[in-house]
Amino acid sequence: MSQQLSFLIHNLPHLLIGFPGQRPGGLLLSLLLAIVGVGLGFVIAVVVGSGFQSNLRLLRWLCRLYVEVFRGLPLILLLVLIYQVAGSGRFGLNLSPRVAAILSLALYSGAYQAEIVRAGLRAVPPRLIEAARLMGSMPWQVYRLVKLRYTLRVMLPAFTGQAISLFKDTSVLIIIGVAELMTVARSVLGSDVTNTPYWVGLYLTVGLLYFCIAFSASQLAQSWERRTRSRDLIHSLANY
Amino acid sequence: MSFNWLSIETIQLLLKGLALTVVLTVATSLLASGIGVPMGLLRLSERRALRWLATAHVDVNRNVPALVLVIFWAFALPNLFPAEMRRAIFFDNWLMAHLQVWSGLSIPYYTLAAALALSLNTSAYLAELFRAGVGTIAKEHLDAARSLGAPQHVLIMQILVPQGLRAAFPAISTRLIHNLKNTALAAFVSTPEFFHSAQTAITRSFRALEFLLLASIVYLTLSLLLASLLRRLERKLERRPSLARVGP
Repeated sequence: MSQQLSFLIHNLPHLLIGFPGQRPGGLLLSLLLAIVGVGLGFVIAVVVGSGFQSNLRLLRWLCRLYVEVFRGLPLILLLVLIYQVAGSGRFGLNLSPRVAAILSLALYSGAYQAEIVRAGLRAVPPRLIEAARLMGSMPWQVYRLVKLRYTLRVMLPAFTGQAISLFKDTSVLIIIGVAELMTVARSVLGSDVTNTPYWVGLYLTVGLLYFCIAFSASQLAQSWERRTRSRDLIHSLANY
Repeated sequence: MSFNWLSIETIQLLLKGLALTVVLTVATSLLASGIGVPMGLLRLSERRALRWLATAHVDVNRNVPALVLVIFWAFALPNLFPAEMRRAIFFDNWLMAHLQVWSGLSIPYYTLAAALALSLNTSAYLAELFRAGVGTIAKEHLDAARSLGAPQHVLIMQILVPQGLRAAFPAISTRLIHNLKNTALAAFVSTPEFFHSAQTAITRSFRALEFLLLASIVYLTLSLLLASLLRRLERKLERRPSLARVGP
């Protein structure tokens, strides 16, 4: 038991921030990759999600294609596809595992977020848009100040849910050897047979680390949502 | 485009993998529904201990990545036991030998463990969705049933379950499609499902591009097929006014 504990305590810093003397890894890298992935994915999603409202049929069709393809593929397959095929130098691209990981996460998350943006844009009350047009706003202003803002506000829970989900999905990056939490856990155990008693403890710890972040993030998002909603109610009542 | 990279053995390998992916998807979807719906009901229970138990199940399995669950149940758990016991419990027993002969899997325990892990993961999501679906049932409906003297199990089986499922069905379908994609995670614990067999084919032939594109097409087709299947099921559920027997 004490051996178990000392093994865990010895390796906990590695799980959290990676191995000393190397670039940051472990849970820290998982978090960073998830944040960058969600951020880039959001940019993609705003473009693609708005493309669904275009008058050009081809553009709408392309957006549909993007969403269907990247939501229909397992993330592991996408990772291997981008890292081994697109980034192998065959097409003039030479991607490091980290870059391939960020690219895949962004494309994957972007497809899910694009669906959220699309649903949000469709849910904007027509009266709101008409009112803004009557006030003399340009279509671009209506889009930016009314539609997009409304979408972000209404769909915020969906976006945070997606972000948490992507954070958990970073565990899959082990397949291309990015030094995130799962990869560090695997290399801490190594192929040493004497390490077998530590497997359960280590993976319980890894699970606990993911759980802490994901669970507290979702609780935070929920309470924040509850608070802003009530404040908004007061705000809107005060404006009447 | 020539297809000489696709030998007969590779096709057999891929087809076996595809079959296992389909079996895994169906089995985990059913098991996840079988666990998820009762868990969703337990979360509405009046007993605090039951509610707490269901909440713990949902929170743990939702907030831990599916891959961690898969590796934990398949690779880590057997290591809890000393070597001889481990073999007797997990690998070298009557049940596993029969499964091995019957299914053609080299180590059936890993596949079973991966299926269990994926089912637990999906069941947690389904429990939450089902609970949300139950929340949309009109209170008057339940009151009416209660005032007619309907016992608890009738209330559950004829109102809560069918209506909760129907209300949550679109979200449940999305989750089941996600579950289909998650079966690829079983490849990490050497389950010879489709992604694993595609990888094996790549290491044999060094044709990454061809096999990965093929795998993408297969997964896209599977997702679309499952989506249309679930949509059909959804329409069937909607056409019926209620699964409960309503008198004239």
